[in-house]
Amino acid sequence: MEDFLYFFSFQDSSILFIVMGITLLGIGSAYVGTFSFLDNKALLGDAISHAVLPGICLGFILAGEKNPFYIVGGAIFSGALATFLSSWLKENTKLSEDSIIAVILSVFFGFGIVLLTMIQKTGNPEMAGLNQFIFGNAIGILEEDLWVYGSLSLLIILTLSLLLKEFSLLVFNAEYGKAIGFPMKGIRVVFNILMILSVVIGIQAIGVVLMAALLITPGAAARFWTDRLGTLLILAALFAIISGIVGTYISFIIPQMPTGPWVVVSLSTLALISFLFAPKKGVLFRFISRQSYLKKTHKEHVLKSLYKAMEEQKSGLQIQELLSMYPVHKTETLKSIKTLYKTNQITVKEGFIELNESGKKEAKRIVRLHRLWELYLNEYMNIAPDHVHDSAEKLEHLITPELEELLDNRLNYPMLDPHQENIPRDHDDH
Amino acid sequence: MIQQVENPILEIHDLTVSYDQSPVLWNVDLSLPEGKLIGILGPNGAGKSTLIKAIMGLVQASGGYVKIFNKDLEQVRNRISYVPQRESVDWNFPASVLDVVLMGTYGKLGLFKRPGKKEKELAHSCLEKVGMSAFASRQISELSGGQQQRVFIARALAQEADLYLMDEPFAGVDMATETAIFQLLQEMSKEGKTIVVVHHDIHSAMSYFEWIIMLNLHLVASGPKQEVVSEELLRKTYGGKLNLLTKVTDLIRKKEFNPLKN
Repeated sequence: MEDFLYFFSFQDSSILFIVMGITLLGIGSAYVGTFSFLDNKALLGDAISHAVLPGICLGFILAGEKNPFYIVGGAIFSGALATFLSSWLKENTKLSEDSIIAVILSVFFGFGIVLLTMIQKTGNPEMAGLNQFIFGNAIGILEEDLWVYGSLSLLIILTLSLLLKEFSLLVFNAEYGKAIGFPMKGIRVVFNILMILSVVIGIQAIGVVLMAALLITPGAAARFWTDRLGTLLILAALFAIISGIVGTYISFIIPQMPTGPWVVVSLSTLALISFLFAPKKGVLFRFISRQSYLKKTHKEHVLKSLYKAMEEQKSGLQIQELLSMYPVHKTETLKSIKTLYKTNQITVKEGFIELNESGKKEAKRIVRLHRLWELYLNEYMNIAPDHVHDSAEKLEHLITPELEELLDNRLNYPMLDPHQENIPRDHDDH
Repeated sequence: MIQQVENPILEIHDLTVSYDQSPVLWNVDLSLPEGKLIGILGPNGAGKSTLIKAIMGLVQASGGYVKIFNKDLEQVRNRISYVPQRESVDWNFPASVLDVVLMGTYGKLGLFKRPGKKEKELAHSCLEKVGMSAFASRQISELSGGQQQRVFIARALAQEADLYLMDEPFAGVDMATETAIFQLLQEMSKEGKTIVVVHHDIHSAMSYFEWIIMLNLHLVASGPKQEVVSEELLRKTYGGKLNLLTKVTDLIRKKEFNPLKN
């Protein structure tokens, strides 16, 4: 608790600096990542982030110390080389995009690990902390490094805001962009540069192995909540900031704990929450709406059976009779009877069920939709009368009043269905 | 039967295009009159879309040239509007109908500038012309095929061009949309706009277009409808690919390089 207060009260100015840096980093990488996610190029970010490792090592070897300019310069160089190579291979070979990305990722990363091991063998005292570039350590970032990463983040955010309409065009319909004379190749190059920069700003805080997660996951998680680009970008940035700060905080309270994995853990939690609970697209929402639809179908089946009993000149049905009609769904049928009783659509006397006025009206509606649809299938789609029942069993729950009106109109307000049964109307006598 | 015209709005001279080395258009040479509704007809894989893309410079020609308004493409790009195939984009992109139509104003806006009030008014009026005003703020993934097509046409209208190149605007749309689009195209052509449409159905083409181009890897015909629509030319267009031409294509594809490249 003490740590928590110390960290989040920002009384330590170096913590404040780091949190500000992480916030900028989160916004920058979430913005770029969201676009590459929408462009279905999520894997490219992963390849670039692994590919910057040899550049970091070369930068270190050249400078002989952890100089931020050499390290960032090296990272940008090898990231750019990887990006260039992957598009060159795509244009000049018949290799598929995923094999190219796999090759680039493993070759560059492997080479990077070789260099890293070589540096460690030299025994250079400056090399301590070079390992941080693998999984990241936000707390270990020096203030002078922070200035470099922070201003790069700002550069990314500004460029993206300035070129928002150009990048949307690139992702949605690049060919059209070319047709109206926009330099789409140049815009693609700028986007790739931003992608490399957004990887580079994260190498020390998040690490090269997991940086791709900070690029892609925020956008992917935010996509569950919204269909608007503006909201999507803001939400993705928010997710990235939250997980960035959580990761930093854990690195702060547990010494030697890398930041990257905790950023990924908290991002994954946010993504999981989105996947489960987001309205409309979330699993839970879809499950609930399916359940309530099933409930409705069971209820309507009970009403329909009661109405059909009336057509056979019975006033109602015994509960047992009803249950035996739906042997697989006994529990559901019982529940439906309870609901119908509570909503005053049926009366139940000593196990004998009868329809009320409101229940009868609703039952007529369902039977009417069923038979109208059967007639439509028969007349307009030439389906034989003994083949139309199954489809009508499903459509009777779906047809809206507008569609009913249209059906009635097309069929010229018919009296009988293909089985010569009466199509019930509200103004009928019984 | 290839009829050339005086002062053409579009002149294509010996255009040859190849994809990955296999030629998909051979020596197309034609010129088109101004202010007409023009249909490009041909079987699947005849190179109809490729012809339009080559005119717009979206695919590179391996021979020949195109002149529009008697100028090079780059000088007159803002007077040409292009409607790509509906299936060529991902409609799940998070954008509203208005956002997509606004893209039509980007050409005149140029880089960096955002569309403002004037552009939005223009976009709304274009949506009205295609009967989609009520859908302006609708998310594009919720649209039906016909509505998507109307949005694409509204976007093209927002370019306020003189020449329109449309790739299969009638493909996979409902009857109401087809009629609405056709009426709109007729009005536009009355206002003096030239409209070139890639089309797949010969029957409706007979009533839709005044000038017809028939393609089957090479140019079979180009001219006024009454003069080009003959049984012989239709057989040439739709009667299968030329056997010899296919063999030459195979021969070129097997080479290690593209021998047709300039």
